[in-house]
Formats: sequence, structure tokens, C-alpha cells
Amino acid sequence: MHVLSIREMDPETIDSLISSSLEMKKACRSGGSVPNLSGRVVGMLFLENSTRTRVSFEQAARKLDLGICVFGVQGTSMAKGESLKDTVLTLRYEGIDGLVMRHNCSGAPYLAARFFGGPVINAGDGMHEHPTQALADAVTIAEHKPSIKGLTVAIVGDVLHSRVARSNLWLLSKLGAEVRLVGPRTLLPRHPGHLPVSIHYDLASGIEGADVVMALRMQKERMDGGLVSSMSEYALMYQVNARSLRFAKPDCLVMHPGPINRGLELDDWTADGPNSVINEQVENGVYVRMAVFAAAFESNNGKPKKSQKKAVKA
Amino acid sequence: MKLLLKNGRILDPSQDLDIVGSVTIVDDQIDEVGEKVDERDADEIYDCTGMWITPGLVDLHVHLREPGFSHKETIISGTQSAAAGGYTVICCMPNTDPPLDDPALIDFILDRSASPEAGGVFVAPIGALTKGMKGEQPSNLASLKRAQIVAASDDAYPIQDAQVMMRCMELCRQLDLPVAVHCEEESLTRGASMNEGAMSAMLGLKGMPRTAEEIQVARNCMLSLETGCPLHVLHVSTWGSVEIIKQAKFLGAPVTAEVCPHHFSMTDEDMVPFDTNWKMNPPLRTQVDVDILLGALADGTIDCISTDHAPHAAYEKDRPFDEAPFGIVGLESAVGVALTYLTHKGILSPLETIRRMSTRPAEVYRLDAGTLKKGRTPVAQVTVIDPDVEWTFDVSRTFSKGKNSLYHGMKLKGKAMLTFSGGEVYRDALWAANDRVAV
Repeated sequence: MHVLSIREMDPETIDSLISSSLEMKKACRSGGSVPNLSGRVVGMLFLENSTRTRVSFEQAARKLDLGICVFGVQGTSMAKGESLKDTVLTLRYEGIDGLVMRHNCSGAPYLAARFFGGPVINAGDGMHEHPTQALADAVTIAEHKPSIKGLTVAIVGDVLHSRVARSNLWLLSKLGAEVRLVGPRTLLPRHPGHLPVSIHYDLASGIEGADVVMALRMQKERMDGGLVSSMSEYALMYQVNARSLRFAKPDCLVMHPGPINRGLELDDWTADGPNSVINEQVENGVYVRMAVFAAAFESNNGKPKKSQKKAVKA
Repeated sequence: MKLLLKNGRILDPSQDLDIVGSVTIVDDQIDEVGEKVDERDADEIYDCTGMWITPGLVDLHVHLREPGFSHKETIISGTQSAAAGGYTVICCMPNTDPPLDDPALIDFILDRSASPEAGGVFVAPIGALTKGMKGEQPSNLASLKRAQIVAASDDAYPIQDAQVMMRCMELCRQLDLPVAVHCEEESLTRGASMNEGAMSAMLGLKGMPRTAEEIQVARNCMLSLETGCPLHVLHVSTWGSVEIIKQAKFLGAPVTAEVCPHHFSMTDEDMVPFDTNWKMNPPLRTQVDVDILLGALADGTIDCISTDHAPHAAYEKDRPFDEAPFGIVGLESAVGVALTYLTHKGILSPLETIRRMSTRPAEVYRLDAGTLKKGRTPVAQVTVIDPDVEWTFDVSRTFSKGKNSLYHGMKLKGKAMLTFSGGEVYRDALWAANDRVAV
């Protein structure tokens, strides 16, 4: 099973990955058993800088006894100009069983999946999707709320360039949540017609009555491109803080995919406050990636088994 | 040597001719065209029953890639591809390496296209509008014109500086040389790889806003009105561009325009996500644009259909979407796409279809082509099209070196069967299969 996007994933698969992640968490915490994937090796092709996602995948692999092989551009043949296609083919015939891929171009994992025999897991591609991050966020929400169905989720900030937003909006709406995108006109898609969302340019109305507020990272290079006037101007209008959170529900969860610019998207009080579940998102990321590895490898050569849940328990 | 093309539907827009009849070619020249012709002493007889007999097709927008990029296409393979597509005259774009800004390079193209291995069709080169296509200093346009260029263009490198553009157009006005323009305000399209719209928002790909095209269409049309320089707007893709061109023509600017088959048959919604065979510039737009483009073809706001045949090697296209080059091949699918999406859908009559693919483009660049009138072309240029044959476009069976087509595997209705440029330069396998040749 490839994990390329949430958009193309059916709700049953999403549900089963979430419950499998929760089982992994339970097993890890109580010393229970998790699937053993020893004898398999996954290639970690990280062609864009990443710490948290890479480490999270590595941790997940270790817990499953899954061998890992980490590559960046530096120190590989890609630095000599080898194409992505040839790199993927090489890894395939060197016996790498699966591929975790981070790339700065949207859709690059689709290209890899065309030429790589085994499962390809998208660890973030350009501005397209970051499926495992969305799954980690969903697991975190599921632990705090009775159901994702019926929740109102506000995603605040630079949605235009955010692969996290593009995965989360699909996942949450597929599970029955109402998704709102909140941000300045320059950072929201100008043609959101295919996205199951509503658009809000005003923070207060955007997070009014929200059960979950997700702040997205503002990248400094966006400021330089003139998409916002300045850091302080952005913070004034879109910072998630005690003042703006008054509009959300009192038990509203505050989330952030990291890394946080403290004082910009969130103030300190909110990032570390009682509503914040940011550290849980990070922890759940490991369990989600365990569940994804298990599902990817325990489905025979890309054909999903009927019950992935059962496979994980075995 | 006398060839008899017998009993076909003769479509010659240059004389508004739509009759059933025959055509004879004697010693490489058109001899007779009519309901009754002298059939005696024919050396070869082609039974064209059910076929269209048309002037050879003319494509104003082809990338032959030579010199410099012969791994993508060569003049030999490109002209063979043209012949197989029913084209007898193709105009090649100057974005080669080096760019076609030197008369010696024009000589090279003309020499190579006349070589016996080539497709036997005419190549009419388009010269670089500025030196090195850098958008700074005009090329030696008078020398290039003497070397037989038919137009000047910085296609693919649209001139951003309006002052440079205006001076180039003044010079071309003086030389009576059409200027062909790829219209793109690059400050709006940096890093973009598809149409900006609902699809790009969904796929997380940076989009090119339609206004990036329209801003330059408007600027260039106004400069044409101001200077009187003939302006040809390449590959129009948005409804806004159509409206601007319509207005420019109304104001009396000497403006012409073309549309590519993919832009009137496909939208960004049709594209297979991240499949680079759907990546071209300008990008596929939306259904509104397609509808307006079809109307503009029918009412003549858009003068002609060009392919923007842009071959690339497979290894160049097998890259992430953002990194892959723009462009798709078009010469061998154009007739099929045009007939399927225009003629068979009732958008254009058969005669008007041929006008937009042969007679009108010839007029735009003042080429001796696009007509079955005796003595009006250097040699007989005739295409025989089977309008009703249903076939599946298969890139593995094309002559072009480029296999980058979004039409691969699609069913099309209508195909060029025979191409004559003087003598026969292409005969389709389907023609032989139907046992149509009688000697």
C-alpha cells in the first residue's frame, strides 16, 4: 500500500490507521507487542531538510525492528546528478523494501511510486500533502474529543504553501468535521473550489466556536516575497493567543505542526497553555508512522489486506 | 508523372471550394481540380472516396530543436512527423542553441530540411526577435529576412521590457515582418507549472494566473496598434485573451491569433495529477476558456490552429512536475484532435476546419501555401484526410523523437492518410490496409 495522499485515501483506511495508531501507543506504553517487521529495510529518502519527521519515522521503524537506510542529497549519487527515477530504481534493485520520501516538489512521491516496486510513503511533498502529519493530528484530536465528526476545525495561517493543511483538510472533512481556512488573502488559495472548506479572512470569525485551532508555521521567506507586510503585522491580525482564543470554544485544542515561531503564530502562553496539545502531536507522530509502516508492509505487495487492524494485532 | 486523386471531397478554403471531384498532380505541380478532370494517362490513381482532399496543412508553431537539442528532435525526425500529420509547411521556432539569430543558422535549417532523409515538407524558419533571445537588443532582422525567415519571435522568452518590444515592432513594421509573441508576464508566473485554479490549489502546485497571459496580450496588441506592426499572438489559452484580441482587431490593429489543439480540447480538470505530459505553457485552462476559444475559432477571432509541437526526451519529462520541461508534441495528433473536437462536434464545418489549419495560417505569415490553385505553391501541396476513421493515438508509432503527448491512448476520429509535397511524402498504414491504391 502506498501512502501518497489523504485526498485519495478512503475514510475506512483513515479510520483503521487511526485505531491502529492508538493500539501502537497502548502497546508501546504498556509493554505490549507490536508487529515485527525485521528482515525488511525501508529507505528514507529525505531530499529536503527535516528533523522532526525524519526522526519520527526512524523511531517508528526501530520500534518495529524495521531496518532503515537514510539518504539525503548530500553523499548520494543525486549530488552527482542522478535523476530521482534512477535513484529509486537503484534502491529497488538493491533490495530496499519500502520508501519514505520527503521532496520539495509536489507530486514527487508519485514519480517514485511509478518506478519503485514496494510501498512509497509520502513524508511531505512540496506544497501538496503530508499524510502522516495529518494522521498524527487526527489521532491527537481523537484522544481528546468523543468524535471527529461534527467538530469545527480552523486552520490558521499560510495555507497556500502548506502541505500540512492540504492533508488535514481532506482528512478532517472525510471524517465529518467542518474545516475553515483562516488567513490573509495572499496566503489562502484564490480558487478553493475543489477543497472541502470555507474561507475566512478574519481571525475572530474564522475561529468562532471552533473545537480545534491549528496554527501553521509562517516561513520567513514568505515575508520577503511581500505576501505579508511584516511579522508584527501578521501577529497583530492572525496570532492565536488568549485574546483571539476567546472566540473559540473554551475546551478548544490548540495545535501546531511545528516548528513554532513563538510570538508569531502562537504566543508563549498559548503554545504551552492548557489547551495546547502540540507535544502530543509530536509523540503521536511516532505511533502513526508505526501504523503506516505496518499497513504498508503487511499488505501483500501493494494489495491491501481486508483487515489491517487484525494484521497489526498479530 | 501524373497522379490522380480521384473522387474525394475537395475542400479548398482559398477558393471556397467544397465539391466532390478529383485532383491531378502532373510533374509535382497541381494540374486540375474539379468535378471532372482529365483522368487519362495517370501513373498512379488514389481512390479518395469518402476522403477529404485539402491543401497541405500549415503549422505556424513547431519546435524542431535543431541545432542544440537534437536529443529531443531533429529536423529530419520533425519533418517526418509533420508529413505524417498531414502538414506540408511548418514554421520552426528560434529557441534552439544557439538561437536562430544568425542568417547562417537559417541557411543550416533550410539545407537540412531539404535533405533526402527529411520528411519532404517545407520548413519556414522564424528568426529570433532579439539577439540571443535575451530580450535586450533586436536581432539583425533585415539580414535574417533576406535569409528567408517568415516571422520573428522570442517564443518561450517573452520580452518583459515594453520599450524593447516597441522598438522591435517598429523595426519589424519597417521590414513588414510579422512578430509572433508568447504572452506571459513573468513576474506573475515564477516557479509556476500549471493553471492557477481549483486544481493547482488542490495539488499544491504553483499556478500561473490567467492574467499573466492577458496582461501581455493587451500590451502587445496596443503596441501593434501603435506601431502598425503585424502581430501574431501564439497559443491563446484564456477567454480574456480572446476578448482583448477581438477588441484589438475591432480597433484595426493588424493582429492575428492561433490556438493549440490541447487548449480547445482539454482543461486542467482533465489532467492526470502530476503527469508531466500535461505540463505545457500556457497551461491547460478551464471549461469557460475552452468554450470561448471554440466560439473564437468559429467567428474568426482566432485565425488558425497551430500545434506548438514541443518534443522532449523521456528522461527530461520523467521528473517531478515542477522540474519537468513545458510542452507536448502535436504534429501527428493535430488532425485527429481538431476533427474530433471541432468538426465532428459541429463547431467548424469541414471547409472551415481546413481554413484554420491550412489557408488562414498561410495568409498570416504570407506563405506560398494553403491552396489548391494551380501555380500558387512551389510544388503541389495536398493532404488526403479520412474524416471518419477511428483510431487510437499511440506515441510508440509516431515519427517524432518526442513521445510526450497527453493524447497517448486516446481515441480520435479523423486522420491524415496521404501527404503530397510535390510527390507523395507520406502514406498511412491504414490507407494501405484499406487497399485503396490502384495502379
